[in-house]
Formats: sequence, structure tokens, C-alpha cells
Amino acid sequence: MSTFDIPIGPQHPALPEPLLLKLEVEGEAVVGVNFDVSYMHRGIEKLLETRSYFQGLPLIERICGICNAAHGVCYTLNVEKLYDKEIPKRAQYLRLIVEELSRIHSHLLWLGIAAYEIGFNTMFMYTWRDREHVMDMLESITGNRITTEYSQIGGVRRDIPPELASRLLKVMDVIEERTKYYIRVALTDRVIAKRTQGVGYLSTADAKSTCSVGPIVRASSVKFDVRASDPYVAHDEVPFNVITSDSCDVFGRVVVRAKELLECVNMIRYAVQHLPEGPFRIKLPMKPNAGEALTRVEAPRGELLHYTLSDGTPKPYRYKVRTPTLANLGALRVMLTSKGRYVVNIGDIPIIYGALDPCICCTARVNFVDVKKGKSWIWSLDEIREMSRRGGLLK
Amino acid sequence: MSLEGYIIETLRAVIFPGFLFMFFLALFYEWFDRKFYARLQNRVGPLYTGYSGILQPFADFVKLLSKEDIVPQKVDRFLFTMTPLFSLTLTIFACLLLPISSGSGIVSFNGDAIISITILTFICITVFFAGICSYNRFAIIGAERSFLQLIGYEIPLMLSVVGVALTAKVLSLSSIVSSQENLWHIFGPQALGFVVFIVAAQAELERIPFDLPEAEQEIIAGWNVDYTGRRLAMFRLARDIELVFLCGLGATLFLGGPLGPVIEGYSTVFYTVYFVIKSLFILAILTVVRALFGRLRIDQVVGFSWKYILPLALLQFIVVRLLL
Repeated sequence: MSTFDIPIGPQHPALPEPLLLKLEVEGEAVVGVNFDVSYMHRGIEKLLETRSYFQGLPLIERICGICNAAHGVCYTLNVEKLYDKEIPKRAQYLRLIVEELSRIHSHLLWLGIAAYEIGFNTMFMYTWRDREHVMDMLESITGNRITTEYSQIGGVRRDIPPELASRLLKVMDVIEERTKYYIRVALTDRVIAKRTQGVGYLSTADAKSTCSVGPIVRASSVKFDVRASDPYVAHDEVPFNVITSDSCDVFGRVVVRAKELLECVNMIRYAVQHLPEGPFRIKLPMKPNAGEALTRVEAPRGELLHYTLSDGTPKPYRYKVRTPTLANLGALRVMLTSKGRYVVNIGDIPIIYGALDPCICCTARVNFVDVKKGKSWIWSLDEIREMSRRGGLLK
Repeated sequence: MSLEGYIIETLRAVIFPGFLFMFFLALFYEWFDRKFYARLQNRVGPLYTGYSGILQPFADFVKLLSKEDIVPQKVDRFLFTMTPLFSLTLTIFACLLLPISSGSGIVSFNGDAIISITILTFICITVFFAGICSYNRFAIIGAERSFLQLIGYEIPLMLSVVGVALTAKVLSLSSIVSSQENLWHIFGPQALGFVVFIVAAQAELERIPFDLPEAEQEIIAGWNVDYTGRRLAMFRLARDIELVFLCGLGATLFLGGPLGPVIEGYSTVFYTVYFVIKSLFILAILTVVRALFGRLRIDQVVGFSWKYILPLALLQFIVVRLLL
């Protein structure tokens, strides 16, 4: 049978963000896949070099609207490493609370999107309705629904007063009840089972070899969570379990994310009840020490990595962000290609892609184009090193 | 027939219960479907146009009519223009067979039960042509899927209709209606046929969980991806009238059609009201099904049909045959 190409994206109802999937299709089965993520380049890393560390915070949160808390925490932790100062315990707990709240909102949003991708619109509406509780709570705590900028260099922006804390606990009860309901639906609904079990298969070996992160790799029974392996904000004091699943498919990813919601709820409860006394912020000077810092954070989508190189001035010399979706693109390719008895149908593409919880705008990378010669290329790591050593573009 | 008779027949076909009535009934059913679906999902649904947004489908229709009409370069122009017309004509003709305001439809003859099912098949074929003639990748996949679904669900639908016809021992819709004067077909061995009919109707109408030919997340709009403006308006209207037709057919076959207690002299009004209430009941079932499920995959849809729905339909057929 001859194959024909189907382009999915960069504009497509199933894709919230610009990505081009070039699919080679034989009948209803996908036999080859190629993708292009470079439809949205915003130059945030370069922009960060032009402003001070304190001014960079609002910008860094705008990398991603959904995992903004993770970006904020990662950025502030990263910069604080340059100062060599201990951050108050209370600030760490508050950061953890807001980060976990944002994880709940992200996972609920994802559950809705995943249901929408398989045409289950009712569940989509329900999860998004319940997500509003969390959004209201985020607004009460931080003053904003998204791009909260809660985590600041030296601590957090506001404290959580006791009456707000008790409200937070009540909201957690609601979320826990609803989450249990969704877990029951996901585990018992036959249409969900039919559309997700055995779909988007990623074996443990493949998950490791493609270096995927987050719920994707945990659903392939790899116990990898930065919060557990490299605690960054009070994770060593707040107890939680790393959820894994051994089904290696989209169903496993649904289960992992849904059960993580319960873990988040318990973590927030524990943190609120054991909130240490003390200041929630310390003042830090404009200029950090010269040096470099690297921080990993478990964003809702997986491991997020920030790197900064400081030359002792108020502005970073170089700032580098590696978002989880970029790390997961290799796995996406494996999941979308039919191999032997594993067949990917056209109908499976949205849910496989959606199960990644993709965030393409955070992912786009530079592709260098020489307009005169009509040539495009991508820098290799060595070339970038060479370029940074010489402080200018290579000829 | 006298001149007066001709005029009355024409008015019946054009205004009530013919085309104009069908047009507004179809828009009303679409509104009901959307509103009920929205309330099931904890949304408000259409709200601003008219009372509770009851005029929203009409506003959408007018808006689509006024939109720019785009004909892509590579389409088959003849089919591209004609299929929306075919589709609309067929559905309107099908509705003329339904007994709405009296015991029989505007067009009524022995065998119209078979004709009504045949028309449904033809509608499906227009969908197939609509997809194929636009030479769009997504449209072609949508057309393929609509045909696969046709193969899956046409036979159970036929069997459920034939079961009713067997019990009533006639093949005309008006006689099927009059055979239910004492007991509706849904109470009795036809209950199984009713279930089969609901599932097959859901597939015919391309609604979740069988909305694969126009699965938004997978193939954008499927077979109608290239249609804009008034062509799309016609397809949408045809889909709404088909909705009325299938709900009405269900009411006719299983719920006694327009029959019910009437006040002498006002039977037309009462019959029409009973018809609308009964078919809205079926529409409500269809909408609940739409809200309760996710979308199946094409192989699962066809497999589900051949593994469960067709044997169910055959079982019902055998039960009915044995009870005769």
C-alpha cells in the first residue's frame, strides 16, 4: 500500500500550541513521523541577559503560563545559589505550597485536555470547573491566577495568613474528593480504557534511552522525580511518594498524574500544618558573586533545568533553560511510530501527543538561517562553547 | 383532485408540516441538543439570542449564509456544489414521510418504512461524496470513516425497523403507527430493537461516541473541512433535519408516533405536540449518550458494531419472529 503524508499542525484543533507533526500514513496507521517545533521563538534567554536578576523574574515566569511556579522557583533557587545565603525555612515551605498548587492546576488541566483529545468533552468541562477552586486559591495567595511571581529572590512575595491557610485546607478537601472521583472514572470507564490502554507505548528501556522526564518516564516504571532525588524546597521534610506505573502507555500516564494529584494534596496539607515560624523573605544585594549555578526542579511536566553564568554584575552573562517538553520529544517520536504489532492509528495521535502534556512555546530553539546563502543550521554544543569563549558569533 | 385540494397539499408540503415547519423544528432541536448537552456538562450553553438562546441556531444559520463562499481550486466543482443540495433535499424528503400532524405522513404509501431507511443510506453516500470531491487529506479520511461506519450500522438499523414492521405486519409508517393504538412497540419484544435503534441512530448522526467522520481533534472537521458559507449552512441544516427525522422515526416506530388522547376537532395540534414531545424524549436519550462517552477509534467502532450491535439486532429479529 502506498503511503501519504498528513500534516498535523502548526494550526490544528488538537494542538493548543504551534507544532508541526509530519506523519507518513498507510491507511489509518502511522509509519513515520517527523516534527518541527520552531514556530515560536521568543528569545527569552537572550532577553534575560539584558536585564538584572530581579527584573528577570517576571520574564522567566512567562516562559510557560501553566508551569510558571516551577520556572519561578527554579530561577530564584538558581540565582540564590550565586549568593551563598541560607533562605528562611518558612519561605521554602511557602514555595512548596504554591508549587504544588500549581502542579494540581496543571494536572487537572491536563486531565481535561486528555479527555478532550479522546472526545470526552464532559470530563473536560468537569475537571476545568474543579480547577477553578485551585485558581481561586492561587489568586488569594499570590494575587494572580497565572504568572504568579510568588517566589522572589531571597524568599517569597507574601506570607500565607492563618485564615487563608484554613481556607486552603478546605479547598484541598474538595480537590481530594473530586480527584478520587476522577480516578474512579479513569479506572472504570471502558471508553477511556479502550482509547488509552496499549496506546503510546514507551518501554522502560526506551524511556531511559530517550532521556524522557516527568510523568512520561514515571508511567514507564522508572522512579525518577527530582523532588525525591534532589530535594530543593523542603522536600526532604515533607513526606510524599513517587508515583509510578508499569503499564508504559497513555493509561499509565493518566493514572500517574491522577494519583500525583492526591500526593500534592497531602503535601500541601502537611506543609500548611507544619509551616515553620520566621521571616518569609530576606534582602539580597543586586550583585551576586561571580560563578555559575545549575538547578533542577520537578515541574508538572517533568524535570526543568536552569543554568546561569554570572560575571559578578547585576545581569546574568548567560542564562539557559531546558524545559521538560524538549526532553520528551525523543520519546514522542518513539511513541508515534508503528513498530511490528504496535500500530499507531490516526485516531491515536491526539491522545499520544496530548499525553506528553506538551508545552511547545517553552521548547522552541534557535535555527540559524543565512538568508543570502539560503542555508539553515543548528549550533552544536562545541560550537556554542567556542562562541561563548570568544564572546561573539562564529564566522 | 380539485384546485383547492392542490393548494392544501402544496401548503402542507411547503409550510406545515412540510418544509418550513421542519426548518424551524430542526433549529429548535439543535438548540435543545446544545442546551441540554451544555447543562449536562455544567455549562450554560446558548444564552443570549432569544429566550435562553433559543434563536442561536437560527442566528448561526443566517451568519453562515452571509459568510464568504470559498471554493478551493482543486475540488470537483460539480459535486462540491451539488452534494449540500442533495443532502438537504434528501433529508427534507425523508421528513415528508413522517406522520406528524396526522396518522400518516404527507407522502405515504406501502413500503415507505423501507424508503426512509434507504434515504438514510443515501445521505451517508452524499457525505462520502462531499468528502471525496474536496480532495483534502482530512476530508478523504473522514469520507472513508463515514463509509466504514455506514457498513457497520446500516444493517442493525434496518433490522430494528424490520422487526417493528414484522410485528405490525406492514411496511408503511402510517400502518405501523395505527398498529400501536393499544400498546407502543417499545413495551414488549421491541425494547431490544429500541436500544439497537438508538445506538445506530447515534452512529448515523455522527455524534459522540461515533463522531469519527468529523472528529475535531483528529481530522479537524473531517469530510466537511473544505466547506464554508452557505454550503456548510446547508450541510448543517441537513444534519439538523436528519436529527429530527431519526428522532421522529424512533418515535413513530417505538413510541406510537403522534398518537395520544386528543380533544375532538383539535387533533392536528395534539398530534403535533405529541410527536414533538416523543421525539424530544429520544433526542434527550441521544444527548445523554453523547455526554456520557468519549470517542471510540474507527476499528473499535466497527468491531463494536459487528460484535455486539449486529448480534443484538439479529437476536431481537429472531425473538420477534418466534413470537409472531
